[in-house]
Amino acid sequence: MNYKDLTEKLVKRCLKFGADEAEVYLQVSRNLSVNILNGEIETIQEASSHGVGFRLFVDGKMGFSHCNDFSNSSLDETIKRAVAFAKLTTPDPNNVLPSDRSVSGISDLFDPDIKSVSMEEKIRMATLVETLAMKDPRVTKSSGSGFGESEREIFIANSHGLSKSYKSSSCSLGVSVVAEKGDQKNTGGEYCSRRFISDLLNPEEIAAAASRKAWEMLDPRMVNTQRAAVIFDPDVGRSLFGGVISAINGERVLQGASFLKEMMDKSFASPLLTIIDDGTRAKGLASSPFDGEGVPTQRRILVEKGVLKSFIHNTSSASRAGTVSTGNASRGGFSQLPGIGTHNLSLEPGKMSRNEIIANTSRGLLLKGVTGYGINPVNGNFSGGASGFWIERGEIAYPVKGLTIAGSAESILNGIDMMGNDIDQNLSFAAPTLRVAEMQIGGR
Amino acid sequence: MKSDKYFVRDIPRRKFLEMSVKGGLLVAATPALLSQLVSCSQSGPVTDPLTIDKATLDRVIAKALEKGGNFAEVYLENRHSRNIVMEESSFKSGLYGISQGAGVRVISGNKTGYAYTDEITEESLMRAAEVASYVATAGISTPPVNVSESSRNSFITVGRPLDEIADSARIEVIERADQAAMGYDPRIKMAMIDYYDEVRSRVIANSEGIYLRDELPLLFFIVQTMGEEGGARHLSRERLSRHSGFEMFDEVTPEEVARNAAREAVDMLGAEDAPAGMMDIVMQNGWGGVLVHEAVGHPLEADNIAKGVGAFTGKVGQKVASDLFTMVDDGSIPNARGTINYDDEGTQARRNVLIENGVLKGYMTDILSARQLGMERTGNGRRESFRYMPIPRMTNTFIENGDSNPADILSSTGKGLYVQSLSGGSVNPVTGVFNFTCREAYLIENGKKTRPVKGATLIGSCLDVISNVDAVGNDLAFGPGICGKGQSAEVDAGQPTLRIRGINVGGSRG
Repeated sequence: MNYKDLTEKLVKRCLKFGADEAEVYLQVSRNLSVNILNGEIETIQEASSHGVGFRLFVDGKMGFSHCNDFSNSSLDETIKRAVAFAKLTTPDPNNVLPSDRSVSGISDLFDPDIKSVSMEEKIRMATLVETLAMKDPRVTKSSGSGFGESEREIFIANSHGLSKSYKSSSCSLGVSVVAEKGDQKNTGGEYCSRRFISDLLNPEEIAAAASRKAWEMLDPRMVNTQRAAVIFDPDVGRSLFGGVISAINGERVLQGASFLKEMMDKSFASPLLTIIDDGTRAKGLASSPFDGEGVPTQRRILVEKGVLKSFIHNTSSASRAGTVSTGNASRGGFSQLPGIGTHNLSLEPGKMSRNEIIANTSRGLLLKGVTGYGINPVNGNFSGGASGFWIERGEIAYPVKGLTIAGSAESILNGIDMMGNDIDQNLSFAAPTLRVAEMQIGGR
Repeated sequence: MKSDKYFVRDIPRRKFLEMSVKGGLLVAATPALLSQLVSCSQSGPVTDPLTIDKATLDRVIAKALEKGGNFAEVYLENRHSRNIVMEESSFKSGLYGISQGAGVRVISGNKTGYAYTDEITEESLMRAAEVASYVATAGISTPPVNVSESSRNSFITVGRPLDEIADSARIEVIERADQAAMGYDPRIKMAMIDYYDEVRSRVIANSEGIYLRDELPLLFFIVQTMGEEGGARHLSRERLSRHSGFEMFDEVTPEEVARNAAREAVDMLGAEDAPAGMMDIVMQNGWGGVLVHEAVGHPLEADNIAKGVGAFTGKVGQKVASDLFTMVDDGSIPNARGTINYDDEGTQARRNVLIENGVLKGYMTDILSARQLGMERTGNGRRESFRYMPIPRMTNTFIENGDSNPADILSSTGKGLYVQSLSGGSVNPVTGVFNFTCREAYLIENGKKTRPVKGATLIGSCLDVISNVDAVGNDLAFGPGICGKGQSAEVDAGQPTLRIRGINVGGSRG
């Protein structure tokens, strides 16, 4: 089936059935997953699916519908329902569709080889990563390993003449194991996701990381409740900055539900903090030539040296705010209206190595795991469970578990006093090791 | 790949919206049009997709077991849903959805094959059966029994069926809640109201010969309000959910839900930073039961036990908790949010005592883990939709009543933290380490609830916390939530007021 033609044809059908403006979002996808436990196949799952969503306006009023049956009668029926709906809603001047016909040029989002690798090979890779992760004698049990893949093609067309499509793929390989000692149990998991199957880290590397995460936390100790430095491992950067990203969501800002709503062009964090959102990075897991409603994606500085430089918008929130879309319309699939979200986020790396940061910390927590919701985007509170290593006199002393850390966004973000240079740009949230000079740590 | 963490939240907003859009047909509509859309779907090419005959199901099951295997199952599903959202006192969206599809599963030894399809035709079911049979090993084979109508008890009664409710009634409920919230106090700056209802029809047929069909109605109503004063802001939340008809709103009014949300938003504006360190906790009755849902419930789900990795592996019959502690999972509580009649594998729901006076009695199983462990099926095999395989899940999980007076529990606690409501939390089911975020909490000083505190987190290990329960009240109550374990499930969590000695609290004040 020629989906591009179908998508464009469906825009015309929308207009014929009474829409003033219309957008058609069509998605075709295929998924496969293989899970291995103790060297045997535990589950194999496979499915292909497709679907189309219609967003249209009649006299400034919006209707939305979607279906996964591509027969002409069902498609027409679904469009008619959206048109009928639109006639009955309240008009909103911010119900607008984008018209920018350009796309951001991005290379290498689709790997044709993933599909051609045999099922036996995928099973072999998943089995191998489990076997390797179990090699260390401290690792006693497997929670399972797996290989997963997906392919997706997106088509968007609207009545402003915009018509775009792109194809993408991703695959992942990972494993989770348990280390035991006496009554103690500790889990360790590691997985790697890439656009291209040949870019996956080798099973040895993934297995070693999972295995180490499981055993290195054995024999933890408890420390006293105190204020001390907290070094954030790259793995936990998202917990700190997720709430900042929610707080610069243009719609939440307009609703007043953001602790950063009054902070545009003002400093709210340490000058070491620069946050970049990039939808255009080659092979980026969160890259795409256009966003969830067809606006070209950008590379955009959100925070520069601690100063808030940009909120993020889709077309509708931008219209309400009197600005233009930043190419940040997110879309959870054909069945959902566009929301607002980021692409590949990264922090600008600093000059210090991870070891230098540790060596310059006389007493504190090297944070490896954090639980909870991170920074609350509405009021900026941060509180969570914490685990990692205790640092004494510039050296890792012993593992710690069952601690808590807490603070306000203002004090934590301004307290960042060391920024590492160790950043893995393959991740869709890439942060280096960084230090917050002092936080409240809850222990004994 | 396995997720290390299971979580439950009182309402993850994004997830909630996703619940209405599990594929199939979804139509966004003004509520006023919804009934019109329903009738328009009846006039269209849509026929009842679940009427596939039993002989066809027999053929699909036979195909699934053609290469070997012990068990095969066909699951058909059709879901009609309505989701209406009001924000800033305007109707932001109204969605009407019809989602349908089928899943075919084959179990061969410890292996499971699964394939699903959006199309419910013999051809696509046969194709799914073939994909699912990939895991089958020749030599392992249990011959299928032809399916026939089976019967189960039902625990869900409907007074006012959702299909017969005028959309104006849904709109009215939302508007009443908005007015009650905004009128509560001038410090309430915004209300967000999510209304969701669905009717899920399911057919379960398997190689053991069962054929079951029923309809489960579900209502979920959430009011969030934002209080603001000076620089302080608090987003509060109150939820109401049942498997029932629209009579739910006669029993608990939308105004009641809204005022509870608004009260929290206003009361918490004066909150100071929470203290940090070990302290005694008094947990108010109701949704606080989510703590044991996470900390004890997930580790008692039998899939991790069957793998030999769960925190409670090999501990049946052993003392694992305080004498005062009895914990139950019960999928048969009339009309509760976690009630299911029978689970998504066809096993009758029932009351399962998990821990009785501190002694571990059993696990929650699905067909696969029950067979692996040589245990009974407990009616806990649940699935989010036809896109997912069933796995062991909780239903309505709670701590049983004790005999203390709730007021005495508070007054006998000299110093500590009074936790009125939790947002939700997560647990590592292998290590049993959990964390929770408090949404509304107060200091306890001299046996009295005093100042509100913000930003408190509770963490600990499940075995420690249930051993340290030293007072259990007689006021059992429940709260609704969404539990995530790679797929979501609607659950209730409950508890009476209780005290736990010595939990680690994370706050920003030393």
